Amino acid sequence: MTQTAAMPGVAAGRVARRATRAGGNAIDNARKKLFVPFVGPALLFYSVLFVGPSVYAIWISFHKWAGAGPMEFVGLGNYVKLFGDKLFLQSFGNTLLLLFVVGLAIFVVSFGLTLVLRDMAGRKIARSVIFFPHLVNAMIFGVLAGFVLNPGGLVNTLLGWAGVTDPPAWLATENLFPLIMVMLTWITTGYYTTILMAGVDRIPPYYYEDCALAGANAFQRLRYVILPLTWDVFGTCAVLWTISSVKIFEIIWIFGGSTGQGIPPTRTWSTAVYTYVTAFSGESIPAYGMASASAILSLALVSVLVVLLRRVMRRDAIEI
Amino acid sequence: MTTAEMLREDTSTRTVVTGRSDRPRRRRGAAIGRERSVLRGIGLVLLWAFVALNIAWMIWMVIQAFRDTRSILSDPWGLPTSLDPVNFVTAWTAGDFATATLNSVSTTLVSSFVTVAIAAPAAYYLGRVENRFTNALTMYFVLGLGIPVQVILIPLFVMLNEVYLTDSLVGLNIVYVGVSMPFTVFLLIAFFRSLPQELEEAAALDGASAFGTFWRITLPLAKGGILTAFVLQVISHWNETLLALTLLQSTDKYTLPVALISFIQQQTYSGADWGGLFAGLCIVVLPMLAIYLWLGRRLTEGLTLGMGK
Repeated sequence: MTQTAAMPGVAAGRVARRATRAGGNAIDNARKKLFVPFVGPALLFYSVLFVGPSVYAIWISFHKWAGAGPMEFVGLGNYVKLFGDKLFLQSFGNTLLLLFVVGLAIFVVSFGLTLVLRDMAGRKIARSVIFFPHLVNAMIFGVLAGFVLNPGGLVNTLLGWAGVTDPPAWLATENLFPLIMVMLTWITTGYYTTILMAGVDRIPPYYYEDCALAGANAFQRLRYVILPLTWDVFGTCAVLWTISSVKIFEIIWIFGGSTGQGIPPTRTWSTAVYTYVTAFSGESIPAYGMASASAILSLALVSVLVVLLRRVMRRDAIEI
Repeated sequence: MTTAEMLREDTSTRTVVTGRSDRPRRRRGAAIGRERSVLRGIGLVLLWAFVALNIAWMIWMVIQAFRDTRSILSDPWGLPTSLDPVNFVTAWTAGDFATATLNSVSTTLVSSFVTVAIAAPAAYYLGRVENRFTNALTMYFVLGLGIPVQVILIPLFVMLNEVYLTDSLVGLNIVYVGVSMPFTVFLLIAFFRSLPQELEEAAALDGASAFGTFWRITLPLAKGGILTAFVLQVISHWNETLLALTLLQSTDKYTLPVALISFIQQQTYSGADWGGLFAGLCIVVLPMLAIYLWLGRRLTEGLTLGMGK
């Protein structure tokens, strides 16, 4: 009290300043009262159903647990076991193939398509058509592949007309995974083409005019204009594909349609399939700890790659 | 930013914009028109072949849905002899697709609606009140985008089992709402930030409460973005397979993707009914096609640029 009284000027000034600040942000202050009713429900749902389970998954991954009965703490035992498990290593390898090989294929094809689409008649229609598979459950394409490629299916009839009498056994186990990779490239390309095109469309036309005036050829235009100006979009696409490729499940689960006896052949497994089968196949004792550990490893893979990508691709987006 | 601006922009401005940008593009076409190379020609051919492939599979699928198993087997290129929807009837009645469709429709609509109803206010708050705390919260939501769904599969199953919500559509709905939060909140934050503040300030000056401002001013302005968010959730919940496969066990609870999987697995024992299967595929794909034809441009922009930032 006395201090305030002793320095009335300062105190008054402080009060006044606070008053103006509060007055200037009256709307903000009123809004702040909405925090609990507005953000509360979303935060609750997200924390309880997404973040909570993720943390719980880490906890489970340190235990040996069949779902029912006691959990037995094994530390990093599950992870050690996973790296000795041929099935897991194969699934993990497949996921890496999806991530890198399919990823590379998608980017090459999408970028090629983007360059062709850039100033083509009917580009909007073409783009809309190739985007659509992204909105369809990937499972559908897995089922259709079974029809198209089975011994009397579309492809073999076509080859028959072309005079090929001895077509390969498309749906043999060793061919399935490469086919899945091709199929995924097909259905995902449209989505990434659309993103890349949005980036390429941001480049103002006078850059191209400048190129034409300077006598740059198509390759130089690509190298010095298009690539640098869409670099950040490439980074985004790479992050997106990293995240979504690790989740791939449906198309593998049902690929080839009628060939499946419930569980797809192990040669085609991805880590998502491995996690699901290890926990829920119903054919052996569920190993929740192992399954969680494999899922956590895929999360680790995503995290590491996303951090790396951000490092590598970090370059200030060029403002146009 | 650009996402929402583009989502919001109405037809009239769009015509103006394209009208304006048309001219330079034509000029550019003239400047580089001469260097049409062989490579580009090949590219064009491949592109249109790809486009044709993307249309052909759908047409083929619909055509086969009107034929019976034997004729599909003997001649996969053939055309149906009649437009008798017998396969759809079989799939609908014998294949349990009727229940599955009903389950899928209700789950999809309810969970998407709840998702947007919960995410929109949160996104509004996080987009409008900017300080260190809300930025951290936004980051907290965004982190969820990077977590693959198989990580939470087992914990969710265990947790829902505790409260008797496995094998229940209510449980599945709740899970979908939780899992969709990161993307929806993220998309809508960008969208709300793009809306002008002035109207809200004017409303506040006129004595509207903070909630009143949100309800009567911002929400009507945000209709476009919210519809986009809703439809994107409809699409992703309609197609969601892994969680549904894990959480649902009894046939009468199956959603369409799970019903389709079980239909295919039954065929291994009971003989193939390919016509019925094609009808089932159509039931899964065609609603998405309808939505896409209705809202195509909005969806591509929401999905590409919304994720792109």
